[in-house]
Amino acid sequence: MSSIFFSRLLRLFILLFFQVLVCNHIHLLGYITPLIIGYMVVCFHRNTSRVSILLWGFSIGLLFDIFSNTAGMASASCTLIAMFQPMLLDIFTPHDAAEDFTPTFNTLGFWNYTFYVLLLMIMLNAAFYLLDAFTLNDWQLTIMSIMGSSVMTTLIIIGIELLVRPRKTPASLS
Amino acid sequence: MRALIDLIIKNKHWFLFILLEVISLVFLFSYNGYQKSVYFTTANDVVGTTYNVISGISSYIHLQEENRNMEAANEELRKEVYELRQQLDALQKDSVERMPALPSQYHTVPAQVVNSTLHKANNLITINKGEADGIRPEMGVICSSGIVGIVYMTSLHYSIVMPLLNVNSKVSCRLRESEYFGSLIWERGYANVAYATSIPRHAKVKKNDIVETNGYSDIFPPGLPIGIVTGIDDSSDGMSYRLKVRLFADFPTLREVSVITDYFSPERRLLEDMAIDPAKQDSVLISQEKKKAEEEAKRKEEQEKRQKAEEDIIKAELEKKYAETMGAQTSDNQKTEKTDTVR
Repeated sequence: MSSIFFSRLLRLFILLFFQVLVCNHIHLLGYITPLIIGYMVVCFHRNTSRVSILLWGFSIGLLFDIFSNTAGMASASCTLIAMFQPMLLDIFTPHDAAEDFTPTFNTLGFWNYTFYVLLLMIMLNAAFYLLDAFTLNDWQLTIMSIMGSSVMTTLIIIGIELLVRPRKTPASLS
Repeated sequence: MRALIDLIIKNKHWFLFILLEVISLVFLFSYNGYQKSVYFTTANDVVGTTYNVISGISSYIHLQEENRNMEAANEELRKEVYELRQQLDALQKDSVERMPALPSQYHTVPAQVVNSTLHKANNLITINKGEADGIRPEMGVICSSGIVGIVYMTSLHYSIVMPLLNVNSKVSCRLRESEYFGSLIWERGYANVAYATSIPRHAKVKKNDIVETNGYSDIFPPGLPIGIVTGIDDSSDGMSYRLKVRLFADFPTLREVSVITDYFSPERRLLEDMAIDPAKQDSVLISQEKKKAEEEAKRKEEQEKRQKAEEDIIKAELEKKYAETMGAQTSDNQKTEKTDTVR
């Protein structure tokens, strides 16, 4: 139990620092900034207590807010995706999967994993950028920010997955 | 009752979800009450110190480039000094007095940018000087090339600045040549383009006009450069011009800034508040009476001090005379003792 807790805590701080030190300084085309703190929520395995997912999501969001002067925006968005992660994971999980099925590049396969992450990231970025803009006046820019940042975050998460969990057999791609 | 408890336990994640969302939204909306929220921003000491260390490291890495830029700027300044000196010499021949230089009467506090954002609608900059250095909210922030923004909130050692690149920022400005004034706003997108709005239709406007502060607000003194006009457009209602302004301050690489600490005038602010809200008049009058009473007390104290000082001088002189007489009559000890008792 405590080892799971500490590994999650470690993941939280690594993601937070990567986000604050690197990702916050990426402004591709002036409006695309990846929010990789969402990876925290992506990783929870099946049948994790929903309360725990919500609390972890809220915590990383709040810490991000403190570091980037975005009071409440990221914590609200991360809590939102933490609420929907179990439902989304259920859709993508194979029927014969284990009780503690962990969504990774290897277990879900390339396309399923990409779609799963992309959907969560669209949800996260939509909440974040809508709360940031808080108006629909420049909606084109907001939509471009949401879609661009979602795609870029997904790509970075897949990159991290490839680094952390290299593929073992080509068969797992299918 | 039991069914209700069961329902709550069964759906506890929904309740938690709503609770956490409400907390987040409370943070989001109470952000303007800055006294409370300073701990949840980069003005908080731990985060500020972290950023300070990080920006120290990154500034060291960029030192070489900085040096090169500085050398180039130096070269340019040297040239400019030379040219200006030439002009000055030419002018001095036929004018008695020199024109005053740039407003040097304002006191500024130098600071370094430790964190900034450029891509959001509400961008903010954190600098490493705070209340301890005399910085208060609503002071103006400038850099070597132009104005940067306005101090928004302060903690003891850090401050958050609302730069021109914020959709809520509005700075009054004027055109340097024609002196028509308007207000400078920013719209999301580019980090070096802002818009001067409400410039009257009859104003003579042309590209490459310089936009500067007009000194109507008590935040910036007049004549500080803001940017240069790169495009002329009509406002949406067609009643005024909307000028595209390329800002002089280079926000993506901004590091050294200065805060103008003594242009802010509380008296003027008070007067303006009074004009808007006459209810404040009483408090102003009371404060004026208080001030008078304080001044009187001060005057009295000074008079007493002066009297005391005079007395001290007389005493010292007497003692000196006494010592002299002592020296003259060293043989007559008894007499000296007598004078001593008299004293």
